[in-house]
Amino acid sequence: MATLESIQRPERWAVPFSTDMTDADVDRLLTIEPFASLDPSRFKDKVTLRGILKNDTRLVRCRPGDIVVRQGDWGNSAFLVIRGSVRVELGSAADLPSEILGRQPVHRKSLFQILAQLWTNSDDPEVRDVANYRGDPRIGARGTGEQTRIYLQDVSAVLSKFRTATIEAGQFFGESAALGRTPRTATVFAEHPTKLLEIRWQGLRDLMRRDDGLQKHIDAVFRERALKSFLMNTPIFQHLGADEINELVTHAGFETHGQYDWAGSFKRLAQKGIDTDLRHEPLIAEEGNHTDGVIIIRSGLARLSRRHEHGHQTIGYLTPGQIFGLDEVIDGWLGNTPKPLTNSLRAIGIANVVTIPTRLIEKLLLEKADRQHLARGAAPTIDSLTNRPLIDTTRINSDFVEFLVENRYVNGTATMLIDMDRCTRCDDCVRACASAHDNNPRFLRRGPIQNNIMVVHACMHCEDPVCMIECPTGAIHRQMEGGQVVINDQTCIGCSACANNCLYNAIRMVEVRHRDGGFIRDREKHAPIVKATKCDLCSDQLGGPACQRACPHDALVRMDMRDVKQLTDWYTR
Amino acid sequence: MKTFAARRIRNLGMVGVAALLLVWFNGVMTTALRDTARASGWGLFAMICFLAAYNLRKKLPFLPLGASAKWLQLHIYIGLFSALVFGIHIGWRVPSGLVEAILATLYLFVFVSGVMGLFLSRSLAKRLTTRGDEVLFERLPVYRRRLQAEVETIVFTDLEESKSTAIAQFYADRLRPFFAYNRNFCQHLVQSNRARFGLLKEMQAYCRYLNNVEREMMTRLVTHVEAKDDLDYQYSLQATLKYWLFVHVPLTYALLVFALVHLLLVSAFSGGIS
Repeated sequence: MATLESIQRPERWAVPFSTDMTDADVDRLLTIEPFASLDPSRFKDKVTLRGILKNDTRLVRCRPGDIVVRQGDWGNSAFLVIRGSVRVELGSAADLPSEILGRQPVHRKSLFQILAQLWTNSDDPEVRDVANYRGDPRIGARGTGEQTRIYLQDVSAVLSKFRTATIEAGQFFGESAALGRTPRTATVFAEHPTKLLEIRWQGLRDLMRRDDGLQKHIDAVFRERALKSFLMNTPIFQHLGADEINELVTHAGFETHGQYDWAGSFKRLAQKGIDTDLRHEPLIAEEGNHTDGVIIIRSGLARLSRRHEHGHQTIGYLTPGQIFGLDEVIDGWLGNTPKPLTNSLRAIGIANVVTIPTRLIEKLLLEKADRQHLARGAAPTIDSLTNRPLIDTTRINSDFVEFLVENRYVNGTATMLIDMDRCTRCDDCVRACASAHDNNPRFLRRGPIQNNIMVVHACMHCEDPVCMIECPTGAIHRQMEGGQVVINDQTCIGCSACANNCLYNAIRMVEVRHRDGGFIRDREKHAPIVKATKCDLCSDQLGGPACQRACPHDALVRMDMRDVKQLTDWYTR
Repeated sequence: MKTFAARRIRNLGMVGVAALLLVWFNGVMTTALRDTARASGWGLFAMICFLAAYNLRKKLPFLPLGASAKWLQLHIYIGLFSALVFGIHIGWRVPSGLVEAILATLYLFVFVSGVMGLFLSRSLAKRLTTRGDEVLFERLPVYRRRLQAEVETIVFTDLEESKSTAIAQFYADRLRPFFAYNRNFCQHLVQSNRARFGLLKEMQAYCRYLNNVEREMMTRLVTHVEAKDDLDYQYSLQATLKYWLFVHVPLTYALLVFALVHLLLVSAFSGGIS
């Protein structure tokens, strides 16, 4: 008979942000602003101010030149300058070069270099040129493991060449990216010895809830820096003038649904078997309820579902920029009676949404539109506005859609799908991948199969790349040009944070070798040097991903799962 | 092109139109007493070179030479079209000379193996998804050995526990050869389950000589037999999909060599007649 084992119920701070935070540190923090003026009695017993500072923050000491955050990083924390100051790169025609940020510059091989792969590819696996690890003289690395920090060797040269601004003690930075789960918009580095308080997003969220001043400050910063540009780039608002956009910015609501650490909880869930009743997915809006505005996905993904018998049938998914509830608002306006929502919307993992009140949609969009035109069904629906229609469930089996959404494959921007009805198992794709990567294939033709479509365990270049969150050196990053998630082999320290975070086992840690076949070892401990490797979508090759180009039978495709039309067309060929 | 069916109709249509044009043009030239053999010969040689170049394209996947799938489409339809050019070139008669006969035979073998390959690629790939788990071809022996080891564990456990040799005897006589190698290659290829049902029937019939414990073990062996049969099915189909190229490609190279010899001979003995 099975025995029962009891454990203490896991609680919020079972794993603190840092184990180095002491009570003395917390005491000191409570004497400085903004914490000094916070009223501890406004915090709940279980989530005290002291608890937040002890468990959701950590002190970061930076030396001159240390890069705190890089533009494009996926961060989960905000920073408060405690002592000293940091510089933020303002962005101009001359951004900081990617090499300085510890990234791989976008380098496409010439035709001759590509041809030369025929005779220069190594016979041994994972061979590297040791000279590449001597590094860029403009940058260095200090610290070990996840505490490793990339720093600029010559801060004054950077300051003289690039436009920067100072963030002084007492000021926050990085809060928009942390709360919105969006990439950092600027690079920040220390100019002098600086002490920072890094606050993980959960702590920041709770501080904002209890402190009106902080809430207002972050709210204002978010509206000014992020929300405005987001709304200006949203298709239905692109024709609006500056005043109208400002009105939207003032009245728009924004909220986060789901868990920031959805990847970790999803992994645990997947081990137990996926729960098909959608209980684990936070509800953003429910079918049958009346809507008080349209919802725009700002980041993350959301599932559209409809009640079916005793369950919910997935009828599509929304990706950033897509809109929910607009059809109901239009119908309500035309009929002069509010219409209930015809679908439910749930966060898949995490979703940041912006809500635009119905009255603003009516005032800014509908009142200016031709009423008869709208009534004839020519309304600006999700299809026409974003050119990304809902999944046509008459063309794609609903169980395939459920499979894609439940397993979060819709997160991929270059998901490798293989039509097993056409695949002859020739492995030309794997061989092509190997030949484009110095004889090291970056994927194996393996993965779950649904409706004879295999989702291969290869990097999907996720919309929400959880692999990037904890990289201490920024080695894994999204290329500015093309958007591929790539790893800079030179700055990867082999900590495995990315591989552990990846839900799809698409990142492999490998021991690297010299040209002569021997392992490259660490000078002090003599342990083999380990690097993270994964599919880079052949970003240095001409012509795109070699795997797709090598498939003779049109069986393999790298699919941008945000493009539902492309997916539907491919599925129903 | 949205669907494969639409693409097939378009491509076949284009080949059909090209074929009609060629037949008409050849008729006109023949009526005008012009020699068409030289033009059709060079055309055929160019086509064969292009068709053979597909293998080279596959060896250089990193070069931006266009998608392999596009090459395959061209390979298929130019291959089909080449049959007409070949017929016109040989004048729709059986070749008489030795070199000509060898050349024509090689062409026919390459053409037929190509058509067979196309048929196999389209039909066997679908069938692979209908039975057994998806297993990499190179890993099939590993799974087979694992199954064999599991079966032997069951058999030897029975031997120790029941002190009876009934199952061990059956294993030695009937199951050991079945688990030791890939079996029933051709039967799987033609989708026959005769061998599988035969063995399962035998196992069922043998149960009358077993006690309850042994029958339970036999039931477990049945599961393993079915799993091994599925592996054999995968092996049979995947091996065929891989190895038909070992016929098609070498014959293509032989055809190229003989075509070159034919070209040299024709050039050497044409005597300058156009």
